Amino acid sequence: MIDRIERELELPASPSEVWLALTDPVWLAGWLADEVSLELVPGGHARFRIGDQLRSGWVEEISPPDVGDRETDGPTGRLAFWWAHGDEPASRVELALIPTADGATLLQVVESRPLEILDLVGIPLPGLGGASYGPALVAAA
Amino acid sequence: MAADPSGPVFSALADPTRRQLLTAIAQRPATATELANELPISRQAVVKHLSALSQAGLLARERAGRDVRYSVTPAPLSDAVSWMAQVGGQWDERLAALGRQFGVPTARS
Repeated sequence: MIDRIERELELPASPSEVWLALTDPVWLAGWLADEVSLELVPGGHARFRIGDQLRSGWVEEISPPDVGDRETDGPTGRLAFWWAHGDEPASRVELALIPTADGATLLQVVESRPLEILDLVGIPLPGLGGASYGPALVAAA
Repeated sequence: MAADPSGPVFSALADPTRRQLLTAIAQRPATATELANELPISRQAVVKHLSALSQAGLLARERAGRDVRYSVTPAPLSDAVSWMAQVGGQWDERLAALGRQFGVPTARS
């Protein structure tokens, strides 16, 4: 898929510490946007202010790091949300935490526009509206 | 238009500094000297990156006195590519800010 950005960053902190940076409004305001309000439940509202741009969206998945079980491979914490500005197509952001062998945490970021595919089959792209009917689209997929 | 992910456009955009330059030029056409003054990149590196972006057909060159002014060519820059350049640059900035909060030294190319 073309409309997909992937980044990763290793942070010298435990997954639980990094999880705080992904979910606490004060932490989030220090890096993700100027102001962030996330309702930390699946389907919860999400609002972001970046300069004078407002984005709204919703939380798709919120799975805190599993502190009990380090045996599992793959991400131990995952936050996925959708955001859109005005009539722009909504995009999906997924932040996943992977513990490294030396006690640090790898943060993986993927932003994608999966709904672009709808445009190809003639369904109007959800812009701001996608923030409200996005959950139904994902549930139907 | 469909952009070929293995083509020169995508390899030109695979580098965060080149995306940063392209985003700056998309906002306002500029010369290598102007870009080197605005961004934390040496003029020599700017010239090298602009050459790669021009070869991929992403930039148009126009003489401006003794300098060359670069502007973005809309043709090969499909909506998907400009989205990638813009959103990729934003994540580079956000992750650099997050890294600083955890005491990770900022990598500069």
